Amino acid sequence: MWHELAELWQARELLFTLVERELRIRYKNSILGFLWSLLNPLLTVAVMWFVFKFYMANETPNFSAYILAAYLPYMFFQQAVLDSAQSVLQALPIVKKVYFPREILPLAAVCSSFVHFVLALGVFFVFLLVIYLSDPRVSPFSWNMLLLPIPLLLSFFLAAGTGLLISALNTFFEDVKYIVQVILQLLLFICPVMYFSEQVLAASSKHGHWMYFAYHANPVAMLCTAFRKILVAPQDPIVGGKSLPWLSLDWGLLGLTALMSFGVFIGGYAYFNKVKWRFVERP
Amino acid sequence: MIELQQLRKEFHLSHAGSFKTALLWWRKKRIERFEVLRGIDLKIEKGECVALVGRNGAGKSTLLSLLSRIYKPTAGKIIVGGKIAPLLELGAGFHPDLSGIENILFNGVILGLTRQQVQERMDAIIEFSELRHHVDAPVRSYSSGLLARLGFAIAVHVDAEILIVDEVLAVGDFAFEEKCYRRIEEFKKEGGTILFVSHEMDDIRRIADRCVWLKNGLVKMDGPVPEVIAAYQDDPEANEAL
Repeated sequence: MWHELAELWQARELLFTLVERELRIRYKNSILGFLWSLLNPLLTVAVMWFVFKFYMANETPNFSAYILAAYLPYMFFQQAVLDSAQSVLQALPIVKKVYFPREILPLAAVCSSFVHFVLALGVFFVFLLVIYLSDPRVSPFSWNMLLLPIPLLLSFFLAAGTGLLISALNTFFEDVKYIVQVILQLLLFICPVMYFSEQVLAASSKHGHWMYFAYHANPVAMLCTAFRKILVAPQDPIVGGKSLPWLSLDWGLLGLTALMSFGVFIGGYAYFNKVKWRFVERP
Repeated sequence: MIELQQLRKEFHLSHAGSFKTALLWWRKKRIERFEVLRGIDLKIEKGECVALVGRNGAGKSTLLSLLSRIYKPTAGKIIVGGKIAPLLELGAGFHPDLSGIENILFNGVILGLTRQQVQERMDAIIEFSELRHHVDAPVRSYSSGLLARLGFAIAVHVDAEILIVDEVLAVGDFAFEEKCYRRIEEFKKEGGTILFVSHEMDDIRRIADRCVWLKNGLVKMDGPVPEVIAAYQDDPEANEAL
């Protein structure tokens, strides 16, 4: 693995060029460019906000900011995995002609999704500012924001590891892509995006604490929770007229997620390296 | 300098392409093996220009791919002294929606240059390829001749010591072909090594110093161009194909 990492480091310019190329291609033919990439999260959050505020009685102030804070990391994971799944297969014509470290392909897909993610987080802060200006009584900002690099790093490694694994599998079995699409879609429902992890705890208490633990053993769910805890000011969610006590960031669960993220990265990279020589020989 | 010692390459033809077939066939591993290269010994000195001839399926392209490190050999040894650049066929690495300049940058980097180096050579590459005002247009609007010129122009500007060419020369117009030949002559004079596959005997007579005939994964004959070509063309099996 060290040998491969050293080779990857030598090819960093290629990785950089590929990321730049992907960002260019994505917005080449559209005038609104980057704005299009914001359309999806903003519209999705608007619909979620509407449904959950008015039909599901979620009365938490600034609810939309809480949704967006958790939806952006989910969207990054989804986009990174889907884009990298296709990356090797799409580049097969050039893979068959020139040697370069193959892992650059899925990594470039993950990196360009990561760039979007970071840009979208920039817009998120503008969003918070708008909320604050429209209602200066509750400040949505908090000092927790300084912890942002931690979940950012973890989500990068989790997405990169998953992307490496899926891109390798998808090169041999093209149906993997469809299975992954379904799983990613279902993932949205088992992540605290449209609802709060406080609600999960309240509902779990009937069955035992393990339900809450099992829910957050899903690293994507835990990362969504972590981003929400870090990005938005602590505030008790109010659902159905009942106020639930705000939970602060659970470092134990985040530690578990960290272990899983690095584990997935090492495992995914090892698997990719094991099979990467067979990409060109696929039937 | 290139040295191949008892080089073998075997491909596995498994019939799995989807989960369904993989699951259905996981017990009966229907794997067929076939050996494309069955023990190649070859030594090419620095500055030589070697042509590979042989019928389709003789293993010529596999041999070039092994040299470019696309495949791992099944057995045997490859010793390469110097930087290798494969000449990309008809825009294999070009993205249709990006401009000529953007594609030059990407291709230069993938062939091992730094971004800085590509920028320095940009003008030379554009001039050699005669793209002129097309450089800013998306590559999808290029003709196949233009693409081939661009591919050739990039390959000869990446400072490779060994150039690998797989049947791509005969795509530009006559004037550009002449230019390519002149550049190849220059490249040889500078001490560059060339290994190329061609079915055009005239091209081979013109630029190669030596000719290697591959047959069924083995070196059938290796020697001066006229003799090997004559023997190859006299081979009854080769004539069958014509």
